[in-house]
Amino acid sequence: MHFHKFSLILLVTFYSATGFCQEDSIVGEERSSNLKLSYNSSLIYPGARIGIESPIARTYLTKSLKSGDKKEYIKDQFITTNIFWYHQPNFHDNIYFTVGWTARKTRSNGVFTEFSPEIGYSRTFLGGTTYKVDNSGNVTIEKLAGYNYLIASVGGGVGYDFSVVKSKPFSVFYKLNLLTMDPYNSTVYMRPAMELGLIYKPKDFLSFKVKSRRIYK
Amino acid sequence: MKYQHIILIALLIGYSCQKERITIGTNVSDTFYLDNDNASMRITVEGNTSSQVFLLLVHGGPGESSYFYKSDYISQNIGNKYAIVYWDQRNAGASQGDSNGNDLNLPQMTDDLKKVIQLLKGRYGENSDVFLLGHSFGGLLTSSFMTAGNNQSLVKGWIFVDGSQNYPLNDTLTRQMLLSIGNQQVALNKNIPQWNTIVSYCNAHTKNFTYDESSQFETYGVDAETYFDGVKQFDILALIKENALKYDWPLTSILFNYLYSSNASFNKDLHLTEFSSVLYKVTTPTLLLFGQYDFICPQGLGVDLMNCISTTDKKMVISPISGHNFMYQDEVLFCREVNEFIGLHK
Repeated sequence: MHFHKFSLILLVTFYSATGFCQEDSIVGEERSSNLKLSYNSSLIYPGARIGIESPIARTYLTKSLKSGDKKEYIKDQFITTNIFWYHQPNFHDNIYFTVGWTARKTRSNGVFTEFSPEIGYSRTFLGGTTYKVDNSGNVTIEKLAGYNYLIASVGGGVGYDFSVVKSKPFSVFYKLNLLTMDPYNSTVYMRPAMELGLIYKPKDFLSFKVKSRRIYK
Repeated sequence: MKYQHIILIALLIGYSCQKERITIGTNVSDTFYLDNDNASMRITVEGNTSSQVFLLLVHGGPGESSYFYKSDYISQNIGNKYAIVYWDQRNAGASQGDSNGNDLNLPQMTDDLKKVIQLLKGRYGENSDVFLLGHSFGGLLTSSFMTAGNNQSLVKGWIFVDGSQNYPLNDTLTRQMLLSIGNQQVALNKNIPQWNTIVSYCNAHTKNFTYDESSQFETYGVDAETYFDGVKQFDILALIKENALKYDWPLTSILFNYLYSSNASFNKDLHLTEFSSVLYKVTTPTLLLFGQYDFICPQGLGVDLMNCISTTDKKMVISPISGHNFMYQDEVLFCREVNEFIGLHK
């Protein structure tokens, strides 16, 4: 039902743009949250992300070109909550939780680009048995050794939304992220990461009423 | 309920990657960590642990990494006989921590080194033989270790490679070497613009060197050994390219730890640090390896160390094709001397 509504809105936007050029409107729209699942890798080291992106705003943008053609975009904004994990042998495993803001621009052919800063909490687990040695030379094993860090990331990516043209409730995406962890040995730790993933769009999952604007240019 | 699942997964990950594994064999590779005063330092033991002989590498820097000391040749020619221990000092390489900058100082690192040895003996047996090898800044750190308390009783031998036990003397010797060889090279019409710059700097800065002057001498020293055709050049970028993926180097950790440590304030304290006056305490067999073209830690430091230590079991070897990285620039001689020294004293 949701996707019918989506298509309908697209259609209405397209046709109304011709009749009500330059007029903006704001309406409330009930929209479901999406589920995000990805392979989250840094070079050759494996990892994963599970996330929820909850919509906060949507803009339907129609641009009139000089040629007389029209270009249509949908600009979405989401608040995301995520759990990530990656594993680098002999170095550490890292589990981190983030909240972020995602801006996504979807073209009428389904291709989208997105940008998302995120911030959160990271807990690392050292990549090997960790020992403590006291001043008498006694050796003991430290369980679950690792560190707590503040983590921030910024990323951008491209994807394809199958719901736009083919009415399938999912998207695929590829994204590059840069993570920073602080205070890492009194400095920062940076790590590039790439994601290859899937966004599933249930019809009704954690739905929110979001402001939906239409802009004609 | 879902939070309980997350915590459970986290615990499983933590436990599974930290399960104790002690491998005794002729070709092992075990990585573990030592947590000491706000730093968790990576230790990788490779090679022949069944020998119960451990060559502990103390890397340079501060802030470099023991990853840079792993070469196939050394693994095949020393690691086949003995175990090689790659220890990343605090705030270096794969070592991890949080706000621990205040703990980055020589006494703390000396304590770390002692605990690394105690840990090796705890893991592999109290009767294990440990040989200490300090390179460059590792020379200063091992000098600090060998002259503190009864530490030297923990090791069977001390190998000192292109190291420094006395930074003020180091500056004086580097300047003298740059000046004398620089003048010779100018007379020989070799690399005249570069040598003129170096000679001018040395003539303008004659004594009581500041930290900045000391750093500038070191920079010139790094460049100087590249001006000689007879010196086998050490290409660190080629090493990174060859080994980084193969051995799972945490590249950004290595980089940011290096940038932090090499610029940390304690370097200014090190600039005036010397152990020549207390080296008489050393009675442990000692091998000194220096590159003839090492301007960073000139062989005069080796002569000073030879004169200061009390042991009569000491030997100094000069490589005619090496600069500051003897183990890479003359690896055949390096492995031969190290093997012979360990063989004699294990």
